[in-house]
Amino acid sequence: MSHSTPTLPKPEYVAGTGFLRMVLLGIGAIAMLISIIAAFFMTGKQVAHSYLFAYFYFFTIVGGAFFWTVLHHAVDADWSVVVRRQLENIISSWIVLVILFVPLVFLYPYLWKWLLPETLAADPMLQAKQPYLSWWFAGLRTILIFGLVGLYAYLLRKHSVDQDKTGHPAYTIKMRYLSIPGIPIIALAITFAAFDWVMAMDYHWYSTMFGVCIFAGAVQQSLGTLIITCFILKQLGYLKEVNSEHFHIMGKFLLAFTIFWAYVHFSQYMLIWYANIPEETNWFVKRNEGMWTYLAILLTAGHFILPFIFLLPQWVKKNPLTLSLIAGWLLCMHAVDHYWLILPNYHKDLSPNILDFTFFIGIGSLVFSQIIHSIGSSPTIPVRDPRIFESLKIKN
Amino acid sequence: MSTPDIAKIYGIGAEFKSVVELYEAAEKVRDRGFQFWDVYSPFPIHGMDQAQGLKRSWVSALSLIGGFTGFTTGLLLETITSVFVYPMIVNGKPFFSLPAFFPVMFELTILFTAFATVFGMLAINMLPKWYNPVFNWDRFSKVTDDSFFIVIETLDPRFDGPNTAAFLNSLGGTNITYISK
Repeated sequence: MSHSTPTLPKPEYVAGTGFLRMVLLGIGAIAMLISIIAAFFMTGKQVAHSYLFAYFYFFTIVGGAFFWTVLHHAVDADWSVVVRRQLENIISSWIVLVILFVPLVFLYPYLWKWLLPETLAADPMLQAKQPYLSWWFAGLRTILIFGLVGLYAYLLRKHSVDQDKTGHPAYTIKMRYLSIPGIPIIALAITFAAFDWVMAMDYHWYSTMFGVCIFAGAVQQSLGTLIITCFILKQLGYLKEVNSEHFHIMGKFLLAFTIFWAYVHFSQYMLIWYANIPEETNWFVKRNEGMWTYLAILLTAGHFILPFIFLLPQWVKKNPLTLSLIAGWLLCMHAVDHYWLILPNYHKDLSPNILDFTFFIGIGSLVFSQIIHSIGSSPTIPVRDPRIFESLKIKN
Repeated sequence: MSTPDIAKIYGIGAEFKSVVELYEAAEKVRDRGFQFWDVYSPFPIHGMDQAQGLKRSWVSALSLIGGFTGFTTGLLLETITSVFVYPMIVNGKPFFSLPAFFPVMFELTILFTAFATVFGMLAINMLPKWYNPVFNWDRFSKVTDDSFFIVIETLDPRFDGPNTAAFLNSLGGTNITYISK
């Protein structure tokens, strides 16, 4: 706090993103090519499940970043102004996710059997779910998920970048109006994506907690991605505005969502375990056979207990390096989490496949090439946001 | 302003008009090396602990101890009762079933953490306090309204009646007053 008149921060552009983008596009193309060649030697089910695993991993991260952006605008937050542009960069890759969904449309018989007329004819339980699990309603939901969030992602980033030029506060008001309905939209988008694409693979099983479980992971991991993005940009000499106070806030949120993730997953597990109804326990039985059970134990220890204890002291959250390390660890655990959610639907026991890795690298590179492109195309912070000074001097 | 008998006064108080003034004055009082002093404001001010040069509070350590105690209490409470003292088959589950124990362990962790935090905070702040001499200053009632105060106590080794008053005056403090015990 001082009496000196604040001067607007200068817009700063990250250099060299064009090259990095090309490198990532190249890696993505090669990885996808290897995957396509390898796919000819694998079963259709393997291809579909590996692809869905890789796709859904990045879908949740980008979706979670969208949640943080709309939350920022809706509650008129000031601390997050300096990191908001990185969130907008992450959600700008939504268009890549829309395009990458197309292969799943063609792979549907391997993933979503409930779409097949012969399954429907033979299964009275599925017939009872027909109003919800029908091709046209599921298709409509998918279109709404991609369309609405895509429209929002486009508008929010556009307004924010336009504000850099004029500095008009009307953009802030506009974004706030947009963002308030944006919160239920993203919550429902992630929930129904989880229900329709992941939970419905086993269409007899249902859990009302499943959507919120995925949502908790998405919000947590997108925050981790944001922390690492800020850390890397800081290491490269950009984003000097983000200091240990901002990292402290992000660290506290990361700790909160680590607990929330464990809380909702445990709630889901305990209710099913306690009620002990075969049609519900079936899902967990599958995921506790053979090596899968060790993955479940790894998740409990590595996705909750370890980061929980590690994130408790204040200095860990204030130090960008330690915070990024734990965020990176959590992103690895997120992969284990989604692998454990999706793959047991096909494999009775843990059997890693080359496609799990190549699709993951391919989709990840393509998504991040778009994010890198966005990082390079606009200033690193929203320089003329009305709340920028409060954000620069934040103390907590 | 005459200097009263130092044995009869509690300290010197100064009034400030804004958060910024109070914040900057606090930084200077801190840099002078005063120890027995405090700031008073109608609302919490972010970053004031650094401006005052306060050390990290022990409350978080007490919270952690409370949390561990609660967790262990919950675990022991359930294990001892349902495994040793009164084993009973419920729903075909084993006697020692962690998933069923966990909600109680969780709740007791939260409860004990909350108790340790709240009562620990009260103890560290030496609250409740039945008498505080700052209320002998009539202007001090504005602390719940629109004024900000710094009070330096006579207990402080650097306290030096008129010089301290002049120092507070130089920081922009107004209504500088000797507060009686």
